[in-house]
Amino acid sequence: MQLVIANKNYSSWSMRPWVLLREAGIAFEEILLKFGDSGPAKGVERYSPTGKVPVLVIDGQPVWDSLAIAETLAERYPEKQLWPADARARRLARSICAEMHSGFQALRSTMPMNIRSRYPGKGLTPESRRDIERIVQLWAACRRDHGAGGALLFGRFSIADAYYAPVVTRFQTYAVSLPPGAQAYCDAVLSLRAVREWMDAARRESEFVADDEPYAAGHR
Amino acid sequence: MLLVIGNRNYSSWSLRPWLAMKAHGIAFDEKRIHLYAAGSKEEILRYSHAGKVPVLQDGGTTVWESLAILEYLAERYPRLWPRDAAERATARSLAAEMHAGFAELRQHMSMNVRKRYPGKGRTPEVLADIARVTAIWAQAKGPFLFGEFGAVDAMYAPVVLRFRTYGVEGPNRSYMDAMLALPAMREWIDAAEREPESIPSLDMYG
Repeated sequence: MQLVIANKNYSSWSMRPWVLLREAGIAFEEILLKFGDSGPAKGVERYSPTGKVPVLVIDGQPVWDSLAIAETLAERYPEKQLWPADARARRLARSICAEMHSGFQALRSTMPMNIRSRYPGKGLTPESRRDIERIVQLWAACRRDHGAGGALLFGRFSIADAYYAPVVTRFQTYAVSLPPGAQAYCDAVLSLRAVREWMDAARRESEFVADDEPYAAGHR
Repeated sequence: MLLVIGNRNYSSWSLRPWLAMKAHGIAFDEKRIHLYAAGSKEEILRYSHAGKVPVLQDGGTTVWESLAILEYLAERYPRLWPRDAAERATARSLAAEMHAGFAELRQHMSMNVRKRYPGKGRTPEVLADIARVTAIWAQAKGPFLFGEFGAVDAMYAPVVLRFRTYGVEGPNRSYMDAMLALPAMREWIDAAEREPESIPSLDMYG
């Protein structure tokens, strides 16, 4: 099983399945196709019917899109309980992941993931603020109703944490001030072994992708 | 189970779970909310704190987002996805691609069951989206993407209605015909055509 991903500093969609696999202890081979200073990585089309990452290749067959990858892994590794075991919790987890999957456009565009950089206060617009409030509200609901067994959204680690991990790194990059409960959740995510490993690798990357760097000095 | 939906004429996201449930004989009650009208926001919030349709209420909890609703239903009605694991993985990929993608198509060819806007909305980006949809449908293994009608086809059903409205023809006639011939789809279209309300801002091209 191979996971095809892009730059760890920038590719939030790549981070989700990677963190999921690593944190759950599922073995996989990583294929990192970096976007460079001069445009997209070559070779993505060899793996991906859509030309996008991430792609999980199972027995030579591509599974694309982070949410489809998550569902497919949940089904293949039931013993890992990648979705919460409780049916009510699972409903909520699926809903918040789907909302992340197609929503929060303002946050995604004004606060692009950039793990190695710090832009405190940048990207806050009325729209991104609304996205942040909604995320804080969702996290609080998960923690309140299903978080008793640990520090994560549904207590123990689940797909939902992998799905919101890139948002946690954004809140760090842009120094978004959060209520104590949300900050505690961010700290718990940042201390996950797989998240630390991903972020360490991101900080060692040096490629500069202009499209993902609206706030870099000398740019725009 | 209660499914809360928006206007049949416009709400493509509502059509998806509605069609999946109807076509698979899954019983449910329906609550329709006229969107973008006075009080509609408050009414939606009574059912869903996400403030969006569709929402499925069941056993005292809510599931929102069309794809989450379909996965929730598939736990009890596994026939919504293909039986073969590899096909299921592909179906989920295609469903997720629809869920988060095709932004240009969705923006410039918004669903409008009653209207006919032949030739409108064809920006270069929309044409690229149409080409991708065409390539996906061309791989259909039967009348539908994996033979029988399933959750993945429900995700693409609104695109069939868009192509009908905007006169997008092409090599996909058989997939579109199969979709338009589904009794559940006929029922949705008939109800959309009889729907009294309209939303002028969504009647994009007059």
